[in-house]
Order: sequence, then structure tokens, then C-alpha cells
Amino acid sequence: MSGPILVVEGIHKSYGTRRILDVPVLTLAAGESYVLTGENGSGKSTLLRVLAGLEHAEVVACRYDGRPVDLGNYPDWLRRDLIYVHQHPYLFRGSIFDNICYGLRARGLIKASYEPLVREAIAWAGVGALLDVPPHKLSGGEKQRVALARARVLQPRIFLLDEPTANLDAEARQQAIKLISDLCDANRTVVLACHDREIIELPRMNRLNMGRGAIETWNGGAVCV
Amino acid sequence: MDWLATTREAFALLFSGDADLWQVILISLRVSLLAMLIATPPAIAFGYLLATASFPGRRLIVVTTQGLLASPTVVVGLILYLLLSRQGIFGSLKLLFTQEAMIIGQVLIALPVLVAFTISAVQGADPRARETAVSLGASRMRSTWTTLLEVRFGVMAAVFNAFGRIVSEVGCSLMVGGNIAGVTRNIPTAIALETSKGEFAQGIALGFVLLLVALGVNFALAFAQGEGGMK
Repeated sequence: MSGPILVVEGIHKSYGTRRILDVPVLTLAAGESYVLTGENGSGKSTLLRVLAGLEHAEVVACRYDGRPVDLGNYPDWLRRDLIYVHQHPYLFRGSIFDNICYGLRARGLIKASYEPLVREAIAWAGVGALLDVPPHKLSGGEKQRVALARARVLQPRIFLLDEPTANLDAEARQQAIKLISDLCDANRTVVLACHDREIIELPRMNRLNMGRGAIETWNGGAVCV
Repeated sequence: MDWLATTREAFALLFSGDADLWQVILISLRVSLLAMLIATPPAIAFGYLLATASFPGRRLIVVTTQGLLASPTVVVGLILYLLLSRQGIFGSLKLLFTQEAMIIGQVLIALPVLVAFTISAVQGADPRARETAVSLGASRMRSTWTTLLEVRFGVMAAVFNAFGRIVSEVGCSLMVGGNIAGVTRNIPTAIALETSKGEFAQGIALGFVLLLVALGVNFALAFAQGEGGMK
């Protein structure tokens, strides 16, 4: 197992008396894949959103690549290494190409340097035939593939994917699983919130089962804190 | 009064290139467009801030802004008149009865419309738009711009509504502009004056232009909205 890339200690979040998250420590190793399982409301999506800096939680300490990080004041440099993809991805108005190169443009890259990367991501996700289709006319599966291409083109070190195969038909689900499997094999750290058995059973997938905001089992065994 | 003859005379005035009439139209458009140019950027930025940020007094500001939507333009004109008159705080600037005073007045009238509509547009935005932009590494400025682009039809509605309100307001322009021919006489104040003199032809011609501007603005919005509008 590779060294830890992200270590978060003491993640707590609650609404009134209702506990949403209570994770004493979460350690993600570089290049490993993790699937968060558990019933609806167990805290999977909230944990991903906290790690992505999209939702606030009390965190005792966080280290990324050995460097201390304040998740409450999320640093821009961490955003460049860690990408979150929604369960129902949002595509901006404009073209599919514009969507996929959005993050590259945000990083200040010029068209000549990002165009080959975008073309490669389009080919990888198999969305070449969709380039002339307005984003709002894409199906859920097509949107998911565009969103995965949009995330992958940025070459982040950590992917956070929230229910990437939920509500997809059989064909779209298989296409999404193939892309996710590719990401897991590409020596990236991938964390998914998911109920999909086929994803859970992917090779080298670590399973973290959550319940009532806590990680209850790790690869079927008790969690060592 | 022969309505048909008067209307025919009005269109003759309009299309014969009557210099006085077209001067009134140009002054009206110049004042209102400049007021929009000045008011729009800060109002949209402030509206975005009020829609997305949380700070003490925010609710009070939002409610006050919404309340100001219905403020009578003549009251805005009265307050501005008192401020700009010789005894007023800004009397030394000698702005009363100038186009600048009319622009200031129209900026004040446009601001609440722009802010309130922008708040509504941004609050109606899909929260995933900003989250996606942020997650893809967009700076605060870029994610703000992206969100505004996603709700651009709502923001455009704000701009067109504000323009429609100021280009047709008479109270403030009359109070602080003084309706001086060739200087501060715009379409609404000219209509009021010509009608009071019994010169209905010019009033109708100017009214027709005002109606065209208002309709043009609405058509522009509907076309811009595409499927949500004219298509």
C-alpha cells in the first residue's frame, strides 16, 4: 500500500441533535480506490462534500501529502488536486467542449495547450459524437461521462465521485463503470459513494461501510482508530 | 379633437426628421442608457452578494431594496432636488437642471430594480453551478461570473426592467431636470408638457417612440431567452 495522501482526523457534523458525520480518522492512500457504502442518510455524500470543501464540518486536523490543511478555509491549491463530481452532474450552458475545458481555462491555460488534452478526454469518455448536442439535451449517462471527462482532463490526484451510476440505465451504467474502472487503474486515488455492486467488487476497491455518520467497517473488518 | 388627423400629424413629425422631436428622443436615450451603464455593474455585484453571502443586516437590506421597487419617482426627484438645490448639501456642484442630475436620479431609481431582480435570479440558480465551478478550480471571481452567466436571462430581465422603468419615468426627470428644451427635455417630460399645451401630435409621436422602446426591450428579452421566450 502506498503512503497516505490525505489524512483527516476528527470529522464531526450535526444538525441540532442529529449526528450527520462522526469519523475519528480517515486515511486515504495514494493510488488506492475506496467505495463508501451504507444506507441513504448514512453520511457518504456529506463526507465527500466535506472533503471537497463544499460543505462545512468540524475537523480536528487534516494533512494532504504531509502538509497541514484547513478544510474550513479550503486552499485553492488543494482544489487543483481534488475534484468532486455530483451525482447528477451540472453542465454549464455552452458546448460540451467548453464544459470539458472549463477547469483548464480556469487554470489559465491557452487554447493551444489545452485543446489536445480536451480531445484526448473526449475520446476517453466516448463523447465525441455529442459535441454538437446542447448540454441540457444529454441523457443522465451522457452527462455523467462528460462530467468524468471534465474531471479527468484536469489530472487531479483525488477523484470524489458521488453515486456515479445512480439512476442510469443498463448501458449508460456499464459505460460509466468502465470509465470509473479506468480511473481506479490509473494510479489515482478514487473515492466513491456508491451502492452499485459491480463497482464495489472492482479489483483493489477498499470498502468503507458507513452508518449514522460513522465508518462502521473497513473492507468488512472493524475500524481501527 | 380629430384623433385621426392628430395621429397622422404625429407620424409626419416623427418621420419627417423634426429636429426638436428627435433631440428629445436622443436626450432621453442618452440619459437613460448612461444611467444604466453606471447603475448596472455595482447593482449586479451587490445583488449577487446579497443573494449568496450571509452577514448581519442582510435581511433588512433585502427587504428595504424590495420596498424601494415601488418608490414613487417623484419622491426620488424631490429628495434629489433638495440635495442638489442651492441650499442643499450638494448645491455647490451646480447639478440641478442638468442631464447629470437626471442621470443621478435615474441611477437611484434603477438600483433597487437591478438589485432585487438580481437577487431573485441568483437565488434561483442551481447550487450545483457554483459548486461545479469551484470544484473545477475556478477562483471566487470566476465562479461568480459563471453563476451569473448561468442565470443571465434573469439578470437580463433585471436590466431590461430597470431600463423600462427609467426611460418612462417623468417625476424625477421633471423635478431635477427642469424640462429645459434641448438640454433636459426627455420623452416623458416632453409628453407631459406638449399635452398640457394641447399639442397632442408631438405627444402622440413621442408616446409612440416610448412604446416602441418598451416593446423593443421586451422583444429583445424574449428573443434572448430563446426557448423560454419567442421560439
